[in-house]
Amino acid sequence: MSQDSLYKQAADTYGSSLDRLARAYELDPEARRDLLQEIHMHLWRSFAYFDGHCSLRTWVYRVAHNVATGYVIRQRRIRNRLVSVENIEAMAGCDPSELAATEAEALQRLSLLIQRLKPLDRQIIVSYLEGMDASSIADITGLSPANVAMKVHRIKNILRRWFGAGGPHAAE
Amino acid sequence: MPPSEFPGNDPINIWQNQATEPFSASLDQLRHKAKQWQTRARLKTLFSIILGLALSSAFARIAITGRDVIPRLGATLLSLWSIYFAYQARRWLWPDRLEPHASASASLQFYRRELERRRDYDQHLWRRTGLTFCLVGLALMVVPGVIKALPTPRLLLNVVPFFVLLAAWFVAFFLIGKRQRAQLQHEIDKQGQLQREIDELRALETDRRP
Repeated sequence: MSQDSLYKQAADTYGSSLDRLARAYELDPEARRDLLQEIHMHLWRSFAYFDGHCSLRTWVYRVAHNVATGYVIRQRRIRNRLVSVENIEAMAGCDPSELAATEAEALQRLSLLIQRLKPLDRQIIVSYLEGMDASSIADITGLSPANVAMKVHRIKNILRRWFGAGGPHAAE
Repeated sequence: MPPSEFPGNDPINIWQNQATEPFSASLDQLRHKAKQWQTRARLKTLFSIILGLALSSAFARIAITGRDVIPRLGATLLSLWSIYFAYQARRWLWPDRLEPHASASASLQFYRRELERRRDYDQHLWRRTGLTFCLVGLALMVVPGVIKALPTPRLLLNVVPFFVLLAAWFVAFFLIGKRQRAQLQHEIDKQGQLQREIDELRALETDRRP
């Protein structure tokens, strides 16, 4: 398949996922459009080197996360305030104590959580929310499945506290 | 994972069901943007190389057409130095290519290597750019003229702007260099934090192995 047709296939299949991925890295709509365009541009360029050694999905997510991570690394002002999932997991009393009233509120809460995370943890939580298993996330991040599983376990704990029934620490 | 794991608000559903905007740029627009991006990245380094080659040609011309031996030697030295400067710029500043599909850990290592390369170049700028040869060449070109002008101090006034500019350039060279090194080091430290996270995860996994 040619570079153009590979890109078209990827954009058709993963277009919505890429839009959501851009939302995980940038809240401002204007800046997000620029980031999304940058992701698509690098994705199109990357297909000149696609050799089929990994799945199209893994390739698309690796390229997209690489571009978005570079974007976060360049933002010096916010970078110092980012934390890991371990930090958030350890922060007692910082998570919302009530369920979000509307889906929009819940989405805002989720975005807030993702925006606080360091790039690597952000890659893992976004991939997890996209419905990927530990093995697929490991393919994308280059970490071992065991490490990813450990991170995902922590992410689930945090999500239960932020979104599960029964308020904070319900799952613990 | 079954949705019932989050009986209140299911974050996976919420995340996947959020409204998205279709991406509207055409393939031609992407191609154009990619070309612009690539051009910008290369122009920076090309500038140093072209500057070096242009200086080399200019000094070579002076070396060929000049009358006095010592200034001609100085111009020859400066011409050779300009080529060396261009070569070093190509060697140290031309960015390597990161495989676009590299995993997160590989891309972080790549960014770090690139930053360290830039920092090393800046730290050893005097040696890497061969500034000693540049200054010797300049001295060979200028000093004979100054010595000739000593009996007539009014002629010395003609070279004052040159020395003022040279002194200003030296001050700017060291101040800007120092600031750039500090910025690069800051960038490397921040990137190092990300890398340490990955290393810690790997170490944890090694510890768990029997």
